[in-house]
Amino acid sequence: MPNSAGKRFKPTKYIPVSTAATLLVGSTTLFFVFTCPWLTKVISPAVPLYNGLVFLFVLANFSMATFMDPGIYPRADEDEDKDDDFRAPLYKNVEIKGIQVRMKWCATCHFYRPPRCSHCSVCDNCVEDFDHHCPWVNNCIGRRNYRYFFLFLLSLSVHMVGVFSFGLIFVLHHKEKLGGLHTIVTLVVMGIAGLFFIPVMGLTGFHMVLVARGRTTNEQVTGKFRGGVNPFTKGCCGNVEYVLCSPLAPRYVLDPRTKPHIKIQAPFIRPDLSDKQITIKVSDNGIHSTIINSKVNSSQSPLHSPKLPCRRAALHVSHFPIVMSDDRKNSAILEEGVRGHDYRSEPNLDLPEYANAPLHRTFQSSPHQLDSDPVNSRSLSLKQGPRRPGKGQLQALPPQTVASTPYKGVFSPNTHSNRNGSLSYDSLLNPSISPASANECIAHRGVPSMGFHSPYLPTKMCHIRETEVHRQQIAQTYSPVMPPRGVGRQSPHFRDREPSPVRYDNLSQTIMASIQERKEMEEREKRQMLHGRSHTHIYAQDSGMFDGGYGLPNNACFSDGPRGPGSRGPTPPAYGGSRDNLIGVGLVSYGQRTPVLRHAGSTLGRAPRTSSTSLHTDHSSTNSSQSRAPGHEGPYRSPAHQPHSPAVARSPSYSHQKLSYISAHERTDSPRLGGPREAMKVNGQMDCHLNTQGVPLSPGRHNNVKKVTGVGGTTYEISV
Amino acid sequence: MWFLTKQFAVRRYFTHCLSALIDLVCGTKRWRTSEFVLASLVFVQTHSLQDLQQPAVSSKVYVQRDYSSGTICKFQTKFPSELESRLDKQQFDETIQTLNNLYAEAEKLGGKSYLEGCLACVTAYTIFLCMETHYEKVLKKIARYIKDQNEKIYAPRGLLLTDPIERGLRVVEVTIFEDRSIGSGR
Repeated sequence: MPNSAGKRFKPTKYIPVSTAATLLVGSTTLFFVFTCPWLTKVISPAVPLYNGLVFLFVLANFSMATFMDPGIYPRADEDEDKDDDFRAPLYKNVEIKGIQVRMKWCATCHFYRPPRCSHCSVCDNCVEDFDHHCPWVNNCIGRRNYRYFFLFLLSLSVHMVGVFSFGLIFVLHHKEKLGGLHTIVTLVVMGIAGLFFIPVMGLTGFHMVLVARGRTTNEQVTGKFRGGVNPFTKGCCGNVEYVLCSPLAPRYVLDPRTKPHIKIQAPFIRPDLSDKQITIKVSDNGIHSTIINSKVNSSQSPLHSPKLPCRRAALHVSHFPIVMSDDRKNSAILEEGVRGHDYRSEPNLDLPEYANAPLHRTFQSSPHQLDSDPVNSRSLSLKQGPRRPGKGQLQALPPQTVASTPYKGVFSPNTHSNRNGSLSYDSLLNPSISPASANECIAHRGVPSMGFHSPYLPTKMCHIRETEVHRQQIAQTYSPVMPPRGVGRQSPHFRDREPSPVRYDNLSQTIMASIQERKEMEEREKRQMLHGRSHTHIYAQDSGMFDGGYGLPNNACFSDGPRGPGSRGPTPPAYGGSRDNLIGVGLVSYGQRTPVLRHAGSTLGRAPRTSSTSLHTDHSSTNSSQSRAPGHEGPYRSPAHQPHSPAVARSPSYSHQKLSYISAHERTDSPRLGGPREAMKVNGQMDCHLNTQGVPLSPGRHNNVKKVTGVGGTTYEISV
Repeated sequence: MWFLTKQFAVRRYFTHCLSALIDLVCGTKRWRTSEFVLASLVFVQTHSLQDLQQPAVSSKVYVQRDYSSGTICKFQTKFPSELESRLDKQQFDETIQTLNNLYAEAEKLGGKSYLEGCLACVTAYTIFLCMETHYEKVLKKIARYIKDQNEKIYAPRGLLLTDPIERGLRVVEVTIFEDRSIGSGR
């Protein structure tokens, strides 16, 4: 309903309209009664006819202006404003014919006011093409009734002129009988007409100018287009034509009518998702969750706890096996995911809790099984999550949930993880997807690889957030570099891949960046292998931080930004907030790393890196310096490059446990891991980069260093 | 299937019980008609229960207005990501384009709208009491089109388009229904 409930009857607001109506009708009636008979007799009967018609026209337009719905917008449904209400910015910009126009959020009506719409405080409604609230008609003047109001003004002016002139004629011919009733009445009528002549004519002239310029009173009075260009103008003739001849706009406030009942019954037809289906689910984990979750109903709200993002990310991990083809890489990924979870839980590491061994064994036994078994195993690993406190924690999800891949459910945590920046460390610490597989995935569909990364990325982000709190430098260094790279490289690349079901332009920058980075890392790795450098140990911890700040924070930040508006319109401030934090962190870390990286890079003789690469190396260097160095530095700057060890997390216990876990894992996996290790990337990007940094990793890897790729593509080398 | 069978069985059982009760109360066979009444009532009841089995709403997607060409009614053709797994982009595009074209036709400044304006002026707008405006006619056309699209394309996919006029021509609301057949929480 247009009006607020509980509207009281206020007699004061009817005074102007009553006065106006009384004056209008009364004066004219007097004119017709006292002046017209003589005029009819003396001049012609056409006089009263003409005046009658004009008066009728005035009355009709007056009635239409008074009683017609001006174009009131009904209040928005609850579902529509669910996301806008709490996180939406006050203004939303939209471009109209090349000119930026601001749409303001209406707190009463719960939507962003369309252009030219304004909220009338008297009527308590948003009105389309709001002109003004006219007290003389006790109604808003908006799109639907502006024409009638304008015509009312025109006709009233004409009528007043007519009444005044004919009255003047009468009086002039009755100068000698000025005391007569008719004359007095005519003089009174003339007086009224003369009194209101100036204001009415002034208003009419004002509105004639407005119509010619294509502006509303509201826009003119508030000076919206002062000195600027009016995007709504159609030229003078076009504007006049629009006002006078446009079709009558429809009413938006409709009576509740029975809608046609349309039966909706499952099962539903799905578009051909032969291999896309899974892909979507996977990719959506990290990519679409932001978009989707923004629209998710309250049913999803339980998942919005900070823990969930990581949990969902864990879920996503489990999906990977489904998506990826059966191959070692996948199994490695699975394992990574499992390990990742374990590691992630680690800033509160509870190795025994995770029962890594059994999980590990599970994976070990069926490395190539990408069916439900790994999934279940993963679920098991995921179940470790709840024990972990804090954000970025994985929570156990029922296996069936994982297996069924609830589309939205999976995404929401990622979304949140992206937004809130709560990342999980696990993927960082675990061997990442092999670059080959990652590339293959990307080539194949793009989406799967993205999806593959996505759970890790958000996880990482979760973790990064945590780590960011504790230690900020590393992550910060990466962020500035990541976004531009990600943006520049990811978007066009992925767009080329359309028509995958995942829309890459919607994917988070994080994911794109991470994929891109992964590729770069792979390239670098290959290059480095050629160089034959000794391995570098890069601690997982640093990588984790690194990854988080490197890829995830940036990506998270950026992903939120572009995706937000695209998906929903208002960019939630929450995104902005988290984004800012992450960017800040990333920037700092970036700065720190770059010089280190360059130095290390030159020392290592690596191929020239992109800025992102240097970030990685810097990051890894920084990380290394901070983490406990296993000791094997080789030609690289020892402080700068530390082997990535999954256990390198800041907390010594964490890194220790991770290391031990990874070592154990690697021992079992060594044959498998050695080969695909280069290619393995958890998030793809991070791994690549880390590997690149640790060019020595490749050759030395097989000997005494285990390369583990963590979340976000961070590669850690653990000396065994 | 089993559920339906069960319902029928329940219905029959109820009918039987109630009719027996009424016979007991009334003690005559004249009230056999009550059995039919009761059956129909129970049928109605169970039928309404069946209606409750409609899938729950999973989420809603809102297609916003495209203001790039001014304030004319036009909706964005950007394919929402939430619908990617439910609907082909091409179908969605087609629907939105058709809607945009229909709204453009409704708002067109042409001979018909001139005529209508003049007629309204001449008759002191009393013509609006008996005649439908051009815009309203096109709105009815749009409502028919949306209903048709819903029945043919969207409902089988677990989606439902809401006529934008119900939202003040601000958004096209697409309701996504839970797909219970795959057991997911979509």
